Amino acid sequence: MTTVEPTAPAPAQKTPTAQAVLADVAGMLRTMLDEEGLDDIEIAMDTRFTDDLELESIDLVTLAGTLQDRYGQEVNFAEFVADLELDEIIGLTVGQLVEYIVRCLNVAEIQAAETRAAEAGVAEGS
Amino acid sequence: MAMIHLGGPPGTGDGPDGIRLHVQRLSPPGGRPPTATVVLVHGLLTDSLASWYFTVAPDLAAAGLDVVMYDQRGHGRSERPGSGYRLETFVSDLERLLDQLDITTPVHLVGNCFGGTVAYGYALRHPERVAGIATIEAKPATESWLTDISGIMRRIVVELVAHEAESLAWVTAHRGAHTARLAKSAARLVRTTTIAEDVAASRTVSEERVRSLRCPALAVYGADSELAGEDGWRRALPPGARTVMLPGEGHSVLAEAPARIRTLLLSWIGEQGTATPPVTVPVAAGLEGADVS
Repeated sequence: MTTVEPTAPAPAQKTPTAQAVLADVAGMLRTMLDEEGLDDIEIAMDTRFTDDLELESIDLVTLAGTLQDRYGQEVNFAEFVADLELDEIIGLTVGQLVEYIVRCLNVAEIQAAETRAAEAGVAEGS
Repeated sequence: MAMIHLGGPPGTGDGPDGIRLHVQRLSPPGGRPPTATVVLVHGLLTDSLASWYFTVAPDLAAAGLDVVMYDQRGHGRSERPGSGYRLETFVSDLERLLDQLDITTPVHLVGNCFGGTVAYGYALRHPERVAGIATIEAKPATESWLTDISGIMRRIVVELVAHEAESLAWVTAHRGAHTARLAKSAARLVRTTTIAEDVAASRTVSEERVRSLRCPALAVYGADSELAGEDGWRRALPPGARTVMLPGEGHSVLAEAPARIRTLLLSWIGEQGTATPPVTVPVAAGLEGADVS
């Protein structure tokens, strides 16, 4: 006998893919690097913030602000790095950040879908 | 990110337009009202607010505190004026910043190294605006502090300015790319401003004056650091200051052992209570140990 599981909320179409987020983040980094006079650097998932882009820890703080402006409160860089050791932050790759952002946006989208479903349920029941 | 604009009062060396400082603020999650404000002050040259942002700041906010971090003048993303780097100017920056942010309740000051010296300077100027001080590898600005810091500045000028290329190559090989990047920024600060001579010309305070401070103080040191090995440093701490030596740690204890610093700070700030006095709840009669006299 097979049990039919309740259908999970379908992945939201609105959630950007890793590729789209990478393009966004690369854009933000290029703006920062332009100010430092470093342009024409290829930015991919395995690019490291410190070793490849020569960013300082304070640049990552600035990036955190830009991310929040772009994606809202769901993407909390301070919370993300709170779980990392300093060495890990220094060794961070663009890909790790992109994956984190995609994860946050997915969670936010699922929560929004659940809220909508719950509200619909309340509306039906009333 | 927010750039906070401080006006240019006389004596700071700033132009008529004042100075812009980079400030980051973290609030307790979920819109909870903060129990108190904590201001984190970083150290000299290779330091910035990132040292707090990536170590203790998120946990302090998660524990219910309003966390204020800023890049001191010349550092991080704040402006880098050509002159105006005596200790008393850094203290005035903190003063003006808190005014600008409209923070009027007493704050907990946490300072790393030179940031700790700035915190002491602020507490001596405004004891009524400080709920407590916690310092990491820091001393108040006594004559002995000035002798130490002047020596360090002279050494840095030689290493980072006169022999910049060799020094940076050594740092890259022995301390890694990130530290080398920080050293490069520090070299630029020393080369393009009067910071080295200004810091060495800072106004000092007497040990007696430091001992007149009545606010709660926690002083943390790496047991292997030069500072911890000095004679007589306890004389220049406020009376009743709690000192903690972390075994196996040196001067960079905040970066090397953030978890230990975090635990110390959280329990210490918790002990001091909140900025507003708690409401006294009458003890229910008959409770064991209750004072019924």
